[in-house]
Amino acid sequence: MATTPTSTARAASTSRSGSTSRWRGIAFVGVLAVALVVAPLVSSPYVNYQLSSIAVFAVAILGLNIVMGYTGQVSLGQSAFLGLGAYIAAYGILHGWPGPLTLLLCAVVPAVVGMLVALAAARLRGLALAMITLALPIVGVPLARRFDDFTGGSQGQVVSWLRAPESTGLANDQWRYYVVVLIAVVAFVLARNLVRGRIGRSFAIVKENEAVALSMGVSPYRTKVLAFTIASLLGGVSGFMYLAIVQYTSPETLVFATSINLVAAMVIGGSASIIGTALGAVYYVLVPVLAGQVNSSRTALISGAVLLAVLFLLPAGLVSLPRRLARLRSSTRRPHPSAPPTTSDEATHRASAPSATTDQHS
Amino acid sequence: MSYFIQVVVDGLSNGAIYAAIALAIVLVYRATGLINFAQGGMAVTATFVAYALTQAGVPVLLALVAAVVLGFALGALLERGVMRHFEGGDPDTAVVATIALLVVLSGLSAFFFGYEPHPFPSLFPNRTIGVLGVFVSLRSIGTITVLIVVMVALQLLFRSTKLGLAMRAVADNPQSSALSGLPVSRLLMIGWGLAAALGAIAGVLVAPQLFISPGMLDFVLVYALASAILGGLDSPVGAVVAAAFIGVVENLAGAYLDFIGDDLKIAVPFIAVIVILVVRPQGLFGRKVTVRV
Amino acid sequence: MSLLELEDVTASYGHAQVLHGISFSLPENGATGLLGANGAGKTTTLRAISGTVRTTGRILFEGRDISGLGPDRTAHLGIAHVPEGRGTIGQLSVRENLLVGAYQRRDRKQIATDVDYVLDLFPNLQERVKSNAAALSGGEQQMLAVARAFMAKPRVILLDEASLGLAPSTARRVYDAIVRLRHEAQVSMVVVEQNANLAFSVVDDATVLETGRVALHGSRDELMGMDAVRRAYLGG
Repeated sequence: MATTPTSTARAASTSRSGSTSRWRGIAFVGVLAVALVVAPLVSSPYVNYQLSSIAVFAVAILGLNIVMGYTGQVSLGQSAFLGLGAYIAAYGILHGWPGPLTLLLCAVVPAVVGMLVALAAARLRGLALAMITLALPIVGVPLARRFDDFTGGSQGQVVSWLRAPESTGLANDQWRYYVVVLIAVVAFVLARNLVRGRIGRSFAIVKENEAVALSMGVSPYRTKVLAFTIASLLGGVSGFMYLAIVQYTSPETLVFATSINLVAAMVIGGSASIIGTALGAVYYVLVPVLAGQVNSSRTALISGAVLLAVLFLLPAGLVSLPRRLARLRSSTRRPHPSAPPTTSDEATHRASAPSATTDQHS
Repeated sequence: MSYFIQVVVDGLSNGAIYAAIALAIVLVYRATGLINFAQGGMAVTATFVAYALTQAGVPVLLALVAAVVLGFALGALLERGVMRHFEGGDPDTAVVATIALLVVLSGLSAFFFGYEPHPFPSLFPNRTIGVLGVFVSLRSIGTITVLIVVMVALQLLFRSTKLGLAMRAVADNPQSSALSGLPVSRLLMIGWGLAAALGAIAGVLVAPQLFISPGMLDFVLVYALASAILGGLDSPVGAVVAAAFIGVVENLAGAYLDFIGDDLKIAVPFIAVIVILVVRPQGLFGRKVTVRV
Repeated sequence: MSLLELEDVTASYGHAQVLHGISFSLPENGATGLLGANGAGKTTTLRAISGTVRTTGRILFEGRDISGLGPDRTAHLGIAHVPEGRGTIGQLSVRENLLVGAYQRRDRKQIATDVDYVLDLFPNLQERVKSNAAALSGGEQQMLAVARAFMAKPRVILLDEASLGLAPSTARRVYDAIVRLRHEAQVSMVVVEQNANLAFSVVDDATVLETGRVALHGSRDELMGMDAVRRAYLGG
């Protein structure tokens, strides 16, 4: 509901200045591409590692955003798919499978697992998916410890792969950066097309109102299963990427706290937004680094407080910050804005709001 | 046979803990249609208060009472100060808000007490008693007894008092309740407070066994959520029965199935929930709800 | 002094303004009707009085401006709103619904007497006093909603479309009880009703609303004598 007025406003502004904003967009993409290519060449291995981490978690958050942000189904199990992907990648590497095949399996196996979970959970109403997915990392950790033939138990699996080919003249961190960023870019482009197309529209309808979706011939059940399957697929791929840069995985990779932090990062970055996803990943990687410099025992406290603050002040996430600031600036310039920000009114008249929408007819 | 009964009683004791948190979840769900993922975090925070008091030499029973009172205040405060902002809005945002509360509360606990587990004094003597050749621990019996008393008290509150009637009315139809003059927002605060107080009791009862740490109740939350869904989410009786069932079944599975063992016990309720819900999506005791436009 | 008086009241849902300055008054022990087509603002006017929609203008109850008070506060002052769609509390029994209605009262003995009184007024409810409200028929639920409003011992009952979805004979029975209630319990009423024949069996006068404005006001007999009103609301 909250996105509707802003998205129409955005649509109006693009139609008004369509060509300028298109050129601006192309210029933005161009600059971004150059920056992505040049960055590892001029940065230290440490920075490259952080940048690569952002790419890894961007893909995990992208999956989460598809099921949660775009389709409105809360998932608290994304870390389980990240971990599953990482374990499959480790197993493949240790058994000498070719890289592309390993990547394919890292996508397909978590997708199938996710689909099976969703087939059961999406039958339930309300927040059942949230609760079922919550169990995935919590059950996954002891499972990972138990099946040590596959996972290496509590010790985890150490791998050594993805060394830079001699011919490229790149260092390992630079080569790995290019691999994960390439995967991330492909994932983002595909996801962007997906959410802007027919499937994306069905996601949005299911999020808005399942009964309406049914009346329009969109099956909420199948849509939710599809969204969750895609989320699991991207989770698995991010696991592959994770192993590519960390070279190690253990039951710690899939702990519940990681899922929670991914959800927090997604909301902070911007729910139902591709750019917001990227911002969320930057937040996910950088905030612990920054907070850790202050005091590591405060990391959770800080990230929880930031999440609450964003929910209160910037419900559409960091991605909406420029728009929000612009609106604030324009409303201070004009003493009587035609459309005042509605949040405070909504809060005070919360009690009447839900019923108000249903019987306005008399 | 004796071992079997011992396993069942210990399972019921675990089930009693799950039941307390599950009841808290159902309480909030019925009042606000919201699943409170911070339920465990609220309980741990209150339990840490009890921990700090026992460290300062306060008897456990008194610390329990203090934790319950503070838990109630914390729950009411969080409803008033945080959750009210999100009630009636997008349910997903509200759920994320409860997750944020979970992160903040465990962050707070970690900030003051660190992440490592601390031993917690038990309310009950660490002994077993023999009845007709069966040995069961006093702790299990004590836990079960306390939870039965709490549930009877809750039942009395909801069935036989004006406050309970008002809370049930608000849970069912907040608009009409407001039109009848019920102070809806105050009742919601009381609902959250009661849920948090229940959590505090569960936390203090289970802490000696698990050792107290910020993540102490993560597992319990999973069991409690499983019980709540299995019971149908809006049925307190269903949640309690499901919690007892889950507690006993996982304990039996852990004791008798070598493959399961102690570490994979947690998979048992998860699988049970999936299987049962595929057959019966509204849960064991839930009402069927038709989707409205 | 009138019991309830609306002066130039507007109301809006979000940015959509629904009422554009409504004024009317209800005398002590009076009953007034609000007539009009769908979307004329009848329900919203009631919501404005009970405080469930945002308003401007003045809403005076016993001489005091009550605009901006929430529904629980207006209920406390003696305004009982029977919402459209009945609004019974489905998972509570008939008796419990009645007790919820009496929530703000402290006079236990009188509450018991009043429960007996409404069960006598609506014998159907007497038979089903232990059933959940959700299990009642539409007519019984409407009776329960009216009975619950009465249990608050209000000064005024706001009655919204009490005949909606009921068979004509059932609607007639509900209104017969409402008429009895009005005279026996001396409670004032604002009656919103599509079926003007039913409305005119209760009210002394009525206001006709059109798209959020007052189009016409008159006594029962004046309005019933007007051809336009007869054609629009009385079926010929």
